Amino acid sequence: MTEIKFIVNGKNVKVAVEPYIRLIDLLREKFDLTGTKEGCGVGECGACTVLMNGRAVNSCLVLAGQIDGNEILTIEGLANHNALHPLQKNFLLHGAIQCGFCTPGMVLSASALLNKNPNPDEEEIKDAIAGNLCRCTGYKQIIEAVKETAKEINSPSKQL
Amino acid sequence: MISSLEILIPKNLNEALSLLVERKNNCRIIAGGTDVVPGLQQGSNRFANSELLIDINRIPEIKSITQTREKISIGGAETFSDMLQNQIVKEELPLLWKACSTIGSVQIRNRATIAGNFVNNAPCADTVPALLVYNATIEVESLSSKKEISIGEFLTGPYKTKLNKDEIVTRINIPIPSKEFRGDFYKLGRRRAVAISRITLAVLTKTQNHMIDEIRIASGAVTPIGIRFSDLEKLAKGKYADDKFLKLLSQKLGEQILNVTGLRWSSEYKLPVVQQMFYQLLKEIEHG
Repeated sequence: MTEIKFIVNGKNVKVAVEPYIRLIDLLREKFDLTGTKEGCGVGECGACTVLMNGRAVNSCLVLAGQIDGNEILTIEGLANHNALHPLQKNFLLHGAIQCGFCTPGMVLSASALLNKNPNPDEEEIKDAIAGNLCRCTGYKQIIEAVKETAKEINSPSKQL
Repeated sequence: MISSLEILIPKNLNEALSLLVERKNNCRIIAGGTDVVPGLQQGSNRFANSELLIDINRIPEIKSITQTREKISIGGAETFSDMLQNQIVKEELPLLWKACSTIGSVQIRNRATIAGNFVNNAPCADTVPALLVYNATIEVESLSSKKEISIGEFLTGPYKTKLNKDEIVTRINIPIPSKEFRGDFYKLGRRRAVAISRITLAVLTKTQNHMIDEIRIASGAVTPIGIRFSDLEKLAKGKYADDKFLKLLSQKLGEQILNVTGLRWSSEYKLPVVQQMFYQLLKEIEHG
């Protein structure tokens, strides 16, 4: 067992774990953050995407022993208390969710993009979510939801 | 499932190199983990005796990109995302930049590192053809030695390199190519993102009045390891880069690849594609 200190969804936490377990298992099993999904387990599908220091990473490819001192954001930490994040709201409005399994990862990849680039073009959106597979193949709605969110962020009149 | 492993995160190069000596027989290096973690998870025999992982992500000596008058030096643990955001890499080494941009996905590029791409010498390593045509050299350090060898020398055979167990690839050094060089990188995978390369090609040429002054050609994935084609490079030197010659060169590239690789089930598809793509690359480079 190793003691690891890190930040998860804005909270400082300390946990004793086997350092070789994967970040996805740490989040789901020790913190009950089951919004992070396991799809392929080899870094190809992006269902397990979380933000690590603001960057999208596959949590199935990070080991618990590597994250000491880092900041992790999961889908549970994206909403502001009871108010949905604009991406979450727009995913609902645009029907960008079908079975929902890819959605947490998809939303987090999109949020990493918008934090870095608030005004992405369609190609940039596609590139940002190229590592998130949606087997219901609702990509068009997802891209529209991201575009709409960018529009809202950039429009000064609209309250987010 | 991953069986018991210790993970240590050294803060500087010396600490990491000392660990490699102390724990010589049972430790492995991990950086981005995009290759190591699935390997561990699937119980690959590459990690059969591993008891310790040394995480090299927080070693400042191997994490920067610097430029002097003659060369660009990239830290071995630099991620693809960091390289893509770097203006020097984008402007001076466009083929390497393009190769990095084709790798995996944002999630993979945020973690995976340049040295990690070629230290296991998989034939499909996307940065290798670009590093080959840029004449990159690899800086390798152990506690007691430091050496710098060309990438071609470093990569000895499929899944084999000159890296010893007590060594770390610290830097990748690339001489800044003169502005007269033009070139391109091509990758074919089964899909555009998160795809293992089936064919990669890198070409760098310097022509004067359509006369080939120098050409550097490298391939990956279609050959057992990434290689340069020095015979073709010599053949092309001083030749007039007209359509007829570019076609001949493309045909010869196909023949050379077949020589190196032998006939495979995929040759019937891959060979014409390699030849056609190489011809297209040459034509675009020549005509802009």
